[in-house]
Amino acid sequence: MNLAHYKPCVCNLCGTGCGQFLNTDGQRVYGVAPLITHPVSKGKLCIRGWHANELLNTHERITTPLIREHGELRPASYDEAIAKVMSTLQTFKGEAGEIGVLASARSSNEDGYTLARLSREVLKTQLRGIGAEAGHRKSMDSLRHAFGYPGAHGSLTAIDHADYILVVGTDITRQNPIIGGNIHAAQRRGARVVTLSSSRTQIAKLSTKHFQEKPGTLGLLVNALGKSLMAIRTVNHDRRANIDKLPGYSEYAASLRSISSVALERASGIRYEEIEEEAKYLEHAKSVVILFSSGISGLDRPTIDAITNLALLTDRMDHPHSAVIPVAGISNLQGSFDMGMSGELGNSVFKALATPDSAIKALLVIDHDDGIIRDKARIAALDFVVYACAYKNAFMELADVVFPLPAYNETDGTYTAADKRVQITRQNVDNKRGILPGWNLWQRLAAAVGHHWGYQDAAHVFKDVAKHTPGYADLSHELLGKGFGQHWNPKGFASSRQRQFNAINIEYWEAPTSPQFPFALMIGKAQHYWHQNNLMRKTIVPRREYDQTLWLYPQGYIEISPDDATRLKVKDKWLVNVRSSIGTSMKIAVKISPDVQNGTAYIPYFIKNMISDFLLPYENAYAAGEESVIPIQIQE
Amino acid sequence: MSMYLLSAHDISALVTELQASYDVYGPQVEPQTKQVFFDQLASAEALDLAAPIPSMPVKEILFPQMERILKYKYDAQSQSVELSKQYFERPKVLFGLRPCDLSGILVLDRFFLGQEFVDDVYLTHRRQCLLISNTCLHPFPQCFCVCTHSGPDADEGFDLDLTQLKDGILVRVGSEKGQALADAHQWSVASAAHAAEFKAVVERSIDLFPELATDNKAWVAKVMNRITTGFVKPETWEYIGDQCFECGACSFVCPTCSCFNIEDSATACGECERLRMRDSCSFEGYARMAGDHNPRQPVEDRRNKRFFCKLSYPQSKKYLRPGCVGCGRCQWVCPGDIGLPNVVQYIRREITGGQN
Repeated sequence: MNLAHYKPCVCNLCGTGCGQFLNTDGQRVYGVAPLITHPVSKGKLCIRGWHANELLNTHERITTPLIREHGELRPASYDEAIAKVMSTLQTFKGEAGEIGVLASARSSNEDGYTLARLSREVLKTQLRGIGAEAGHRKSMDSLRHAFGYPGAHGSLTAIDHADYILVVGTDITRQNPIIGGNIHAAQRRGARVVTLSSSRTQIAKLSTKHFQEKPGTLGLLVNALGKSLMAIRTVNHDRRANIDKLPGYSEYAASLRSISSVALERASGIRYEEIEEEAKYLEHAKSVVILFSSGISGLDRPTIDAITNLALLTDRMDHPHSAVIPVAGISNLQGSFDMGMSGELGNSVFKALATPDSAIKALLVIDHDDGIIRDKARIAALDFVVYACAYKNAFMELADVVFPLPAYNETDGTYTAADKRVQITRQNVDNKRGILPGWNLWQRLAAAVGHHWGYQDAAHVFKDVAKHTPGYADLSHELLGKGFGQHWNPKGFASSRQRQFNAINIEYWEAPTSPQFPFALMIGKAQHYWHQNNLMRKTIVPRREYDQTLWLYPQGYIEISPDDATRLKVKDKWLVNVRSSIGTSMKIAVKISPDVQNGTAYIPYFIKNMISDFLLPYENAYAAGEESVIPIQIQE
Repeated sequence: MSMYLLSAHDISALVTELQASYDVYGPQVEPQTKQVFFDQLASAEALDLAAPIPSMPVKEILFPQMERILKYKYDAQSQSVELSKQYFERPKVLFGLRPCDLSGILVLDRFFLGQEFVDDVYLTHRRQCLLISNTCLHPFPQCFCVCTHSGPDADEGFDLDLTQLKDGILVRVGSEKGQALADAHQWSVASAAHAAEFKAVVERSIDLFPELATDNKAWVAKVMNRITTGFVKPETWEYIGDQCFECGACSFVCPTCSCFNIEDSATACGECERLRMRDSCSFEGYARMAGDHNPRQPVEDRRNKRFFCKLSYPQSKKYLRPGCVGCGRCQWVCPGDIGLPNVVQYIRREITGGQN
């Protein structure tokens, strides 16, 4: 018999995919409980998961379709709003790049799949994208080249058994805390946990070994580890390894050999001897898990290539407890990619918006994450903007038509976690306002112009997903409802047995700092909330926590080391002038942190003014994600 | 104390009978995940008295994670405010409480009702409650109630207490309310042999506790002494603080944690509702004061506050027992592995200089 109040579902607040119970009477959600038998989260939740009830109780919901009239949004019926949207969109040419579609990485697979159909079959546009995908495509391209399919290799549960766990860059106990907790547990049971990170993050403190490299040299460090591992192999001829037969090996090996220990040390600040020591542990490990963050604050392609190459070089990737996982910050980033909502190269919506003479005239946006909207002026100047989301957001101000969407527990849907685990959440509260689920809204939009898809429910949509999405063929709602989801099957890709090295270049990255701009500024160091401002600001306790640092540092803060603070003669919370090498500047408080190394500075990602006034002119900083570095000077 | 012996059928009939005038809650197994919750019973069959300790504490019912306590509406024209209370009294039976959860309720009673101010919301949920506890015949993984004087059997606070014996279920009466129920049903009185069997059952249960728990018994007292006198080294707190992921889970699953936060949230123009939700001392914003002063900003300072609350004499004086009831849930839910038993272990290690 089902319980009166506790309903199992999947947490929708990051890409880990933790098991969660919602305490609900079918009308409202009163609380949350963790799900003990879930294979990944094992009865644990992070601050976000524990407060999902607050988000699900917010009054800041979009409750009805809205149409802009005389500058104001007014309620409208679905029929009217759908007719308005489709009649207007028909006046634009999708083929000519006039319509852009920006999907959400939080939408279910069913919603993503039908949105992709709408874009392709009805709007006929190539101009598609996922709001937070920036870095994920790079991860997918690199993994696809290395392992033959675009997705994580192995499972997050490998962490619980692996001998050796390498965390590259990410501040994982903040970004995906439950994965961080599993890594910590692995360290305590005796696994060797190694973190490469330019600042002393919590996971760095909890690791067996932390390499604190100079900013911008993560990839070089991973490659140096590869070089040492290869050197050990050359000595130990007894190793089975037919790794050297894989395509790309000889080029990769040649590149690794060219690494100079002197140049390595100068660039990264890490001695090669230390890396050689580390490689011995890696050589002895029977199973290896490598994690790196993917998505908007992910890594650049050369660093990801270094990671996938190292993974192949270990020759342990066929072990059931080995894995390479691009850790996603948003619940269905992987699924949205699988459903085909990621724009092909050269068809980026953001690029179209940023290019002044691009053809784009209309935009359909789902669930915009940030309070910060890039290219806002351009979007405001477009002829027609449609926005759909469960929650109110600044993006509504730019929209001509707005549609509501259900919250994640108000409709059936499947979500694909960072390690390809596809899980189902069933509707567990009444959809009182009769809000159409995304798949049905897109179906109705298509039907308005004569495309009839005939989907009865989300399970019906998923049958089509299984039929047309590589790897999803064995899955169904019925099957997923029985346990805690299932990983999609790489064998759905013909090349899934293929292994090959990515081409790499050894570059001794020189910090762009100079005597005049001596600090390397890094963005993207995460707080609890990463880039989910739109949701977290609608909770109560997490919002208060989110605001803590802002209360202490109302103008935002820049983290520097105690030594640098002494040198600059500044104290904690003092305001300083930060000037970048391209001339942007801001006034900001100093936060002194022993976790930061000398000569580096960090600004958290989420502070609005910093991004819009200071960082946005740095297009490259966005592109490089976690590894981007801006030379700055700091003055009292 | 009067004792009676009931059959399983009697228990089932009692549940059904009570359902006529009470909301009856009890341990149940969620079918898909096999997870145990103390939830409202649809029928007597759903009650599973042998189920392991519920995954969430019973404070879920008396002190929910979040509740609406007030609605108010301001009329600007008449400059008047209309207030309406949002919590209502419902007679409840908590059927089959584990002794740790019962102890938790007693601590919450002392916090919410036993001090200068009486919390009306809690009182309303608590007032017409019938508490029926259930002796643990064997410990569950991570249980350590033997260290905190809260199990495996209950010794105070219940109206009725159940223990599964060979011949049936022993019912001990703990209050006038309980006695009235017994008298009304004319239950058969238990024999001296049953009373002896009860003692033996409890003894056996204590014997079954893992060595770690029984061994820790003296150590919990010693650690309390250390924490009270402030002799725990800062490095030990830092070691513990480094493992804190600041999720708040320990407080949310703790049967005795009583901290809450209040937020007024606008529902419509001029209309507002007041929400009260559980809070946790592991959060940075929890201790922040006006003027931005935060006496407990570093995470390790927040962590030691929690253990001070659970394991120190001044707190115990307030609750008339240790703040920890030994349910072990914090150990289950902690992503950083600093549940209370582990913290005792770390401090113990510090005392012995690493010798266990």
